Formats: sequence, C-alpha cells, structure tokens
Amino acid sequence: MRTEGHIFSEFDDALNQLKRDTSLIAQRSIVNIENAMRGLIEQNVEYCDLAIDGDEAVNALEMEIDSQCVSIMSKHRPFAGDLRMVIASMKITHNLERISDHAENIAKRAKKIIKWGGSDEILSLEPLQHAVLEILRDAHMAYVDGNLDLARSVISRGEVFRKLQKSLTKSFIVKIDTDVENYKTYLNLIFVDRWLERVGDHALNIAEDVIFMESSQDIRHGGEFQED
Amino acid sequence: MIEIDDVSFSYDRGKTNTLKNISLDILEKQVTSFIGPSGCGKSTLLRCLNRMNDLVDTSCITNGEIRIMGHDIHGKDVDAIELRKQVGMVFQKYNPFPKSIYDNVAYGLRIQGIKKKDQLDQAVEKSLRGAALWDEVKDRLKDSALGLSGGQQQRLCIARTIAVQPRVILMDEPCSALDPIATAKVEELITELRQEFTIVIVTHSMQQASRVSDHTAFFYLGELIEYGPTDRVFQNPEQKRTEDYISGRFG
Repeated sequence: MRTEGHIFSEFDDALNQLKRDTSLIAQRSIVNIENAMRGLIEQNVEYCDLAIDGDEAVNALEMEIDSQCVSIMSKHRPFAGDLRMVIASMKITHNLERISDHAENIAKRAKKIIKWGGSDEILSLEPLQHAVLEILRDAHMAYVDGNLDLARSVISRGEVFRKLQKSLTKSFIVKIDTDVENYKTYLNLIFVDRWLERVGDHALNIAEDVIFMESSQDIRHGGEFQED
Repeated sequence: MIEIDDVSFSYDRGKTNTLKNISLDILEKQVTSFIGPSGCGKSTLLRCLNRMNDLVDTSCITNGEIRIMGHDIHGKDVDAIELRKQVGMVFQKYNPFPKSIYDNVAYGLRIQGIKKKDQLDQAVEKSLRGAALWDEVKDRLKDSALGLSGGQQQRLCIARTIAVQPRVILMDEPCSALDPIATAKVEELITELRQEFTIVIVTHSMQQASRVSDHTAFFYLGELIEYGPTDRVFQNPEQKRTEDYISGRFG
C-alpha cells in the first residue's frame, strides 16, 4: 500500500494523517483492554478507572477519523488502493471503538467483582486475554505495515480464542452451581469472557479489512482468500 | 462490435507511431471509456474509429486493422463518409450549425434524402427526446441553436448525431466545457443512449469514466496499458501504472 507520491501533496498528507490516527485509536483501544484486564486480574480499581476514562478519547477519535474519511472522499475522490485504504480505515475504526466499549464494560464489571471480594477464578481468564490481545496487536500491525500475510495469520487464529472462551464459560457455569454463594461473580466473569471473545471477533474483522485494503478481496462470512 | 486488432498509427507517414500495437474489443451497446494523460493516444484512437484522421494527409495506420461489425473500416470498398453515418461523433466543444434547432437535427436526415415534413418532424422529435432536450426546446424549434445554453447545445449535437441512427457514437471529452449540472445531464443521457448505441468516450475525468462506462481502457505513451470492466479498473487495477494514474500519482 502506497501512501505517498501523489502529485497533489495535500492528498498524501490527508492519507498519512488518517493512517496515523487509525493507528492511534488502535493503540488507545488496546491500552484500554489491557488496563481493564489488568484491573480485573490484579483486582486494582485504578486500572479499571483508566479503562473507563480512556473510552472517551477513543470515541472522540472515532468521530475525528470519520470526519477525515468523509473529507478525503469528498475532496480527493480516491480510487483503487487509496479508496480501499479510506474505507478500511473507517471500518477498522468502528471495530476499535467497539473494542474500547468492551474494555469499558469489562472494567465496570471488574469493579463490581472487586467490590464483592474478587475470586481466584479470575486468573483463568489469562490465556483468553493473551490470545485475544495477541491477535488484536497483530491485526493492528498488519494495518500499519499493510502486511497481508500477518492479516491472514490473524484470521487463522480465530478458533483458538473461541475454544478458550467456550471452555471458560462452561467452567464458570459449573462454578455457579457448585459455589452458589458467589454466583454473581461467576456470572460477571461469563460476561467478561464473552466481551473478550467479541474483542477477538473485532480483531478478525480488522484483519479482514486489512486483507480488503491490500488485495481488494472480500473474505467476510467465510469467503476464501484467492492466491494470485 | 468494434475489433481493434494490433493497430499502430502514425501522424508522420510511419516515421513514428503515435499508437503502438493496440488490441481491444469494444462491446455492443456498452459504454467504453478511454482514459490516460494528454498525448497518450486516446483521442487519436477514437478518431481512428470513424477515420477522422484521414483528414490529416500524413497520417496512416501502419499496422493492424479496425473492424466494425466484422468489416475492415480501411477496406478499399469502404467510403469514409458512409462510415461516419454509422459511427457518429460528438466533440469536446459543442458545435451546432448556425441554424435553427430544428434544422440542426434535420441536417443529416436531409443529406440522406429525407424531404417529407412529417417524416422529418417525427425524426427531429424522436432525436430531441432521445437527447433529453425535447421538453426544453419543443416550443422554440425555429429559434437559433446558438441561443441555447452550452449544455443544451451539446445535447443538441448529440441529438444531431443520433438523428441519423448510427450504430456507434464517439464522444471526445463531451463534458469538458460544461458546468456540473449540464455534465450530469449529458452523463444521464449517455447511460440512456447505451440501450440503443455503442458508445466510446474519451474523458479526462476519472469520476466520469467510473460513473458512466462499463469498460475502461487506460493508455500511456501510445500503448494500451490496461483494459477491463470499469469497476475492476477503478477499484483494483492490475497494472501499477494504471493505479498510479487513476489515483493521481503520475508524473
């Protein structure tokens, strides 16, 4: 993907700004998820508050990026790779905004769980957290570098976090039956593992958008990537 | 419909080729855009299609042939005037005759020998309707064509072209002198005319090419770089030079 070399240099400036800001919203959303999960696992309310407060900046950035995309499309009328980059950035940004919403939700539930005295079962979320954050970071890097192979690799790892999430949900349901006194905590941990799974789904969406951006191929909803 | 087969063309008796081994098939009742930077040969190729370049003494096809409906248009038995009845042309600068609106449209028909008023009236109305101009001029058909707005004059030229029922309409930057509203009307007209005519349009507007055409051919330095369905060419071109040009990186 080329983002420089247009005859009209303002077009380059606009595309480069868009890429920087999309990367920035990705970084902020990732940090929000990291803080939310750190708050939950370390049972530290301060990190939870960071995740909750951090969502506002992501929301503002989402609107700013939308505005940039509209401006680029109306002023510069992009075609081909430029057009795909603008469309992909817009869609990726919406996925990242949702990820940050999930971070906020996780942080709010974490604060409740901490208030109720916490639970050792929280630690069982760590493998899922690692799997989801890993593909989210990779999806982000695939966008930044225009790395088609990395984006495809993210897609291929979708089953890993889904299996982990299903397994966790099952174990928390068992806990609800066997440790009735703390059922509210386990119920909330189920919410957390589902939100983490959704974060993973958003990361896959981002990888799909990167594939579209780089190759013009739409592999959503089970579409196969066609090698040249 | 139109087969351009390995065509090279020279303006200087073959010393240098302005077009180099161009091959492409233009499909019937579709709109085909020729795009490319100035001097790439797109207008030259367009003018080859109805032998307008014959008017340049030193010009010649140096290789290949152009066939329309299977007939070589440079064949010995082909009369250029007859060819141009089949392959009409609309130019960059609208050029109505200094006559009435009616006479402009009837001009070609009269040359074809049609004299009966009823027949001419019908054909003029049909052509003006076909050019989406009838409602605007029906009450002033005897007024001078030069009193029309630029956009109306261009549509009148289109009406004049379609009056003689050509198979193909060539358009050389038909909207370059028009404002956005007049441009939109001509573009709307092009999409309607596609139902009846094969249209080839040269344009410098990427948006226009992407809006109105079914197929797009990109030329550079006299060569055909890429030809394909317009959506594909503008969304995912195969050639880097095409992508660089349509996205404004050329130069």
